[in-house]
Amino acid sequence: MKRIRHLIEYAFARLGLAIIDALSYERARAMGIRLADAWFSVDKRRRKTSINNILKTGIVSTAQDAERIALESFRHFACVMIESLKSRELLDEQACGNEIKFDFPNEFKAALADPGQGIILASGHLGSWEAAAQLISRSKPVVGITRDLNNPYTNRLMQKRKPSGDFRLTPKHSADTSRFLETLKKGEILGFMIDQHARDRGMMIDFFGLPAATHTAIALLHLVTGAPIYFGHCKRGAARAFELKVTGPIVRKASGNRTEDIKSILEDLNRLLESAIRNNPEQYLWAHRRWR
Amino acid sequence: MTRKEILVKLRHVMKQASQEHIDWNTVIEDATIESLGFDSLSMLDLIYDIQQEFDIEFEAEELVSINRVSEMVTFLEKNTSP
Repeated sequence: MKRIRHLIEYAFARLGLAIIDALSYERARAMGIRLADAWFSVDKRRRKTSINNILKTGIVSTAQDAERIALESFRHFACVMIESLKSRELLDEQACGNEIKFDFPNEFKAALADPGQGIILASGHLGSWEAAAQLISRSKPVVGITRDLNNPYTNRLMQKRKPSGDFRLTPKHSADTSRFLETLKKGEILGFMIDQHARDRGMMIDFFGLPAATHTAIALLHLVTGAPIYFGHCKRGAARAFELKVTGPIVRKASGNRTEDIKSILEDLNRLLESAIRNNPEQYLWAHRRWR
Repeated sequence: MTRKEILVKLRHVMKQASQEHIDWNTVIEDATIESLGFDSLSMLDLIYDIQQEFDIEFEAEELVSINRVSEMVTFLEKNTSP
């Protein structure tokens, strides 16, 4: 039964990809936004989660405002998907009409230029995270960590689509320590999404004033390797306009108190993400259950 | 530090970093790191604690490639010797 369901999903995914491939980026994006509107009407559970999450953070106080942000967030997520699927066309350095701004501190520019300097780059499900990784990978290879899709057929299909730039994805299940360390040792960028729920292996760190299980690996990697941590996010303006902003570095010396060292780094990172979300709440993925 | 002293200290450090409920006093040099329940995350905890407790600096990947407690003791013997 499961196999049949997977095959049906796979057929739909292939059809969807064929349609997206046949359309221009602008048309695919417009189609994505219309589908997001339909999805927002139909998917009551995710709509409710989004609205509740927005209200929890106190960004807005009325359900009406929260619903408006939630709808924009659904549309934004559709755009992120289209950007990802059309990235080779969209982010082509020769592509016409792209307006890409980089706002990098000097230390980050120097680290990008140094072939031996590994970098830990923290981000969240905010703005155009896929585009951000691919744009930065023009200067230095970026390795991101991803979770395999539950459907193995669709998973293989998606893995065949190569992103632009030097951006590679490592499946979460095989993302062992040696791979992380090797990436940094090779002077590459290791990207982490810091707003994923860490279940029982995380540390409870305040996010918008509410404790959220947060992965600790990013902080530990910094403490044991000394590779600097930067926080980055990419705000989308018009359809082809991206503004990439990086802040940092966050640098800490190990004090001997592992828990406190990790906590202090994760608190800083959550604060940076929070502040970036407050400036752009419509471009955050509110539908995921960050607080459980 | 003697090899025996290193092993005693290492057991203590491993106990701090591990999630497993093991009688750490009985851990022998022949034991594999994996059998002691260290996964990718707790391995990073262990590296942090070894760097701090033994007050040594080393490339983290040197320790990650080690499979047995005996190899870890040898590694620490080499790195802690004056």
